[in-house]
Amino acid sequence: MKPFQYATASSADGALELCGKNDQFLAGGTDILGEVKEFVSNPGRLVNIKNLPGTREIVETDTGWKLGANVTIAEIAAHEGLRRALPGLTQAAAKVGSPQIRNMGTLAGNLAQHSRCWYYRHRDVQCLKNGGARCYARESENKYHSIFSGNPCISPVVSNMAVILAALEASVNIRRGKQTFDIKMAEFYMVAWFNPYAHNSLKPADLILEVNIPVKTRSCVYLQVSEKSDFDWALVSCAAAGDLDGNALKNVRVALGAISPMVQEVEDANSFLEGKELDRRTASMAANIILEEAEPLEHNGYKVPMARALIRRALFKLAGINLERETS
Amino acid sequence: MPSWPTEPVYIGKSTQRVDGPEKVTGEARYSSDIHNEGWIYGMILRSQWPNAKIHSIDLSAARNVPGIKAAIKVRDDEFVAHYYGQELAAVAGTSKQACIDALLLIKVDATDIAFVVSEETAINPDSSRVFPDFPNIGEPKVRENGEVDKAFAQSAVTVEGLYATQIQMHHCLETHGNTAHQQGDNLTVWASTQGVFSVRDGLASNLELPQNKVRVISDYMGGGFGSKFGPGVEGVLVSRLTQKTGLPVKLMLPRYDEAKAVGNRPSSFQKIRMGADADGKIIAFELNSFGTSGFTSGPSTAGGGGRAGFPSPYLYNIPNTRVRQAGVAVNTGSSRAFRAPGHPQASFGMESIMDEMAARLNMDPLDFRLKNDTHDSLPAEIRRKEWKIAAESFGWKEKYNPPGSSKGTIKKGIGLAGGTWGGGGRGTQAECQINSDGSVELRCGTQDLGTGTRTLMAIIAAEIFGLKPGQITARLGDTLFPPSGGSGGSTTAASVSPAIYDICHNALKELGEVSGMEDPTGNQWFAACRKIGIQPLIVQGRWQEGLSSRGVGGVQMAEVEVDTETGFIKLNKVLCVQDCGLVVNKLATESQANGGVIMGVGYALYEERIMDSLSGVVLNPNFENYKLPGAQDMPEIEIILMEMPERGVIGIGEPVTIPTAAAIANAVANAIGARVPTLPITPDKVLAALGKVPNKPADSLAGNWGDFDQKLNWSQYSPTQEEGGGH
Ligand SMILES: Cc1cc2nc3c(=O)[nH]c(=O)nc-3n(C[C@H](O)[C@H](O)[C@H](O)COP(=O)(O)OP(=O)(O)OC[C@H]3O[C@@H](n4cnc5c(N)ncnc54)[C@H](O)[C@@H]3O)c2cc1C
Ligand code: SF4
Repeated sequence: MKPFQYATASSADGALELCGKNDQFLAGGTDILGEVKEFVSNPGRLVNIKNLPGTREIVETDTGWKLGANVTIAEIAAHEGLRRALPGLTQAAAKVGSPQIRNMGTLAGNLAQHSRCWYYRHRDVQCLKNGGARCYARESENKYHSIFSGNPCISPVVSNMAVILAALEASVNIRRGKQTFDIKMAEFYMVAWFNPYAHNSLKPADLILEVNIPVKTRSCVYLQVSEKSDFDWALVSCAAAGDLDGNALKNVRVALGAISPMVQEVEDANSFLEGKELDRRTASMAANIILEEAEPLEHNGYKVPMARALIRRALFKLAGINLERETS
Repeated sequence: MPSWPTEPVYIGKSTQRVDGPEKVTGEARYSSDIHNEGWIYGMILRSQWPNAKIHSIDLSAARNVPGIKAAIKVRDDEFVAHYYGQELAAVAGTSKQACIDALLLIKVDATDIAFVVSEETAINPDSSRVFPDFPNIGEPKVRENGEVDKAFAQSAVTVEGLYATQIQMHHCLETHGNTAHQQGDNLTVWASTQGVFSVRDGLASNLELPQNKVRVISDYMGGGFGSKFGPGVEGVLVSRLTQKTGLPVKLMLPRYDEAKAVGNRPSSFQKIRMGADADGKIIAFELNSFGTSGFTSGPSTAGGGGRAGFPSPYLYNIPNTRVRQAGVAVNTGSSRAFRAPGHPQASFGMESIMDEMAARLNMDPLDFRLKNDTHDSLPAEIRRKEWKIAAESFGWKEKYNPPGSSKGTIKKGIGLAGGTWGGGGRGTQAECQINSDGSVELRCGTQDLGTGTRTLMAIIAAEIFGLKPGQITARLGDTLFPPSGGSGGSTTAASVSPAIYDICHNALKELGEVSGMEDPTGNQWFAACRKIGIQPLIVQGRWQEGLSSRGVGGVQMAEVEVDTETGFIKLNKVLCVQDCGLVVNKLATESQANGGVIMGVGYALYEERIMDSLSGVVLNPNFENYKLPGAQDMPEIEIILMEMPERGVIGIGEPVTIPTAAAIANAVANAIGARVPTLPITPDKVLAALGKVPNKPADSLAGNWGDFDQKLNWSQYSPTQEEGGGH
């Protein structure tokens, strides 16, 4: 790593004051320190924000849940109230990395983490996202990359939390300069869809304060497939949230990760499902709508059938059915 | 003729490791742990280029970094760095950060040369060359027996298949490296090594020092798997740095560098044809294969031990066979011996086509094995029993269903595979010191790779002296002790055990004389030792014929569940049935078998070095993307040791890792009714094999190398070698 300054903020105001254009916030450090050590990111100063007041709480509010920016992934995974109210959130948190990563990694850091593309993270490669001339992945090793993208970079969103939070229609509360505002989870990665240099929609020195989930309880589920049983990134992840009125689907939202620079949500699929009886055909048709415009590359075509399977399974899981164990 | 006790107290039973407590409490100091006040650090600058002419290296700015004590080049002349990660220069400094800062300031003047890192590309005549004067792939080594073409023409059934195995990395948990300290004429090196003597001799010749001025110590070490026999470039560099600075320099490679330059298992690309008669007897076999062992894997190095060749035809008795094998050079780091060199590749290809043939013949794969595993050799004879023991314990007959007949989305399957290995012992000397208080110290210049060699020494001495293993102090890993060989080829137990046997019997004789007791063992021990006086008894001995042997079989069976919609494989069970002659420590032997199976699981399902053809770098030089199996990936592992004490000690380290991947691959194919012909078997490949991946026909997996033997016109080469199979 290259030398950098280190400062600890004790208030949001202080954090913003300390964080200049070339500086970065430091929470658990599991993401940013890896970048710094590999010379992928060379911040002038790391501003420790772990001590910001009120950012380590999980609170049930009148209308839903409020999760502080510095709540750790392990705390989310272990929270009994959340487990009962929003099981999908617990499932997503429990699948993040390893116990060590979950203990150190924070929610804000998980959402704001940078690309895991193996070219981007490589100390001896400089790809487009890191100021180089080309996207290597498009032409070469793209097994773990996106099947959708609005720009030359195909590095996908890999945050488990983003996927389930999108399905739950959560919003992220952000401090920018003197202003505080909310953006929907759905928009949190929008800029990365268009802009190869972006990892998310945050601007430099934007500070996440909390994440708000607008429901107190909801039937929801998070599924992922990885190459290993544990401590491995999702090849594809899928979350669904919604209600079942008898056998009819209501307010269902499906979201996928690891297949696009933003969380993959297709409004047409959600509205297609509205009021429909849950059966295999309906589930498959929803999957078709979501995946219709996929453009797989040489090594990642498998993500299409894998995503299809997960969408179908997630929907059935909302009704408590393990589709993969059913005999058709 | 010496012989092992027939009613042993410790031999063949389970003994906990004598150094277990030190290891779990962290008291044991591995080579990488040893550090003292005033010791400085070393680091290596490696080539960022996959192939480049290195004109000059400027170290002046690096030398000016505060804390830097020395900076050296690997070579002074102009040279070609042939692969990403090749060593260029090294620095030594008072902190790791100083070294990192210094490496960033070294200026290398280099010119890019066209490179090739993919074997499939490198075999093409128009590929860029690793060495300008030679094609990347040379003439194949050819072995032929019987009348192959005639036998194929007579075959009732013929099957053909393409199989490929990946580059697997050693990734020892303790990385490669040493601390070296030159004082006056004497060089002392704490090495993480499998061979203290081979490191000593390697350093002595590289640095032009007399061997008696170099001492190598390896008290505890964290794994080698074949990659840690010599000093390596890193060992020579750290020695030069201590010579330059006069300070002890510690240079352990970062994990990142482990993926570049310190060994790997060669890849293989195998095209196999097999013919059988209507009864299921294999009568014809042909293999054409190539693989790479890195940039030196050119025409001259095809075939043999740690290279890209492998034994073929593997295990089965086939009268008419033709095997052609070549190595192909690519711009990557070199292979080194890797736990059972060649055999896992051999087993995967052979056992895959065996199952394809069994399916075509409508035979149970077990029956097909029994019908053809008929070599007139001891390992084959043992294996014939092992197939039956395994089948019985596993419930093979009850569980077996024809390929693809499992119902539902998640399909179950079972598979089996066999192996063979040599092992055996060789020259080792040792000494035993018995003190007047009855304490015993054994000294042997072998090393304990984590396999339990210390405990093995203590068990044998305890057995012969009638003491407890905990009463014996076993010392090893030091070139001041009597010499033993490198710990490779599953030879350590079979080399060391007879030497310890010999010194202990020699010691008993001397102790008998000194004490005047006919039997100074057991209860008499301390009384006898009191007669020794102040000068301890020091007794030497050496490896003796008759207490060890070589040649083992081994079979494994696996059970999997495959999710046919996601391609995910859940490994439920692996059964390992293995012989290794006389078991010295049952606990440690089973531990070796567990480790071998786990490594085989990694080879089957997860591990692969990924080279990027665009940039020429290793893309996954970390444990995030180089996927090692974890605790959750582990199946139930059942081990049945087939004990044959009458054969004496034979090693077990290598045979137990050979059949695992092939058995798993066969289980997956049995579950889904389609074969993933390349390792590792990952979800994307399973989905492709099932024909579920758009734009990717199921048979495209084999890549575009399938007709390489025709393109390279291999039929023009005639046999040069007779033997090369593994029985
Ligand atoms: C080996 C490994 C495996 C992993 N596996 C998974 C996985 O399977 N699934 C998954 O979802 N994730 C995975 N992760 C990612 C992990 O969850 C994140 O690294 C972690 O959550 C980041 O949190 P942190 O507090 O450590 O962030 P830091 O590393 O401290 O920060 C990460 C980034 O977020 C920014 N940041 C942090 N807090 C704020 C804030 N309040 N406001 C604005 N910006 C902020 C930082 O500036 C930095 O750019 C893995 C990581 C590793 C290293
Ligand atoms: S996908 Fe994005 S991050 Fe990866 S190589 Fe291409 S531009 Fe770089």
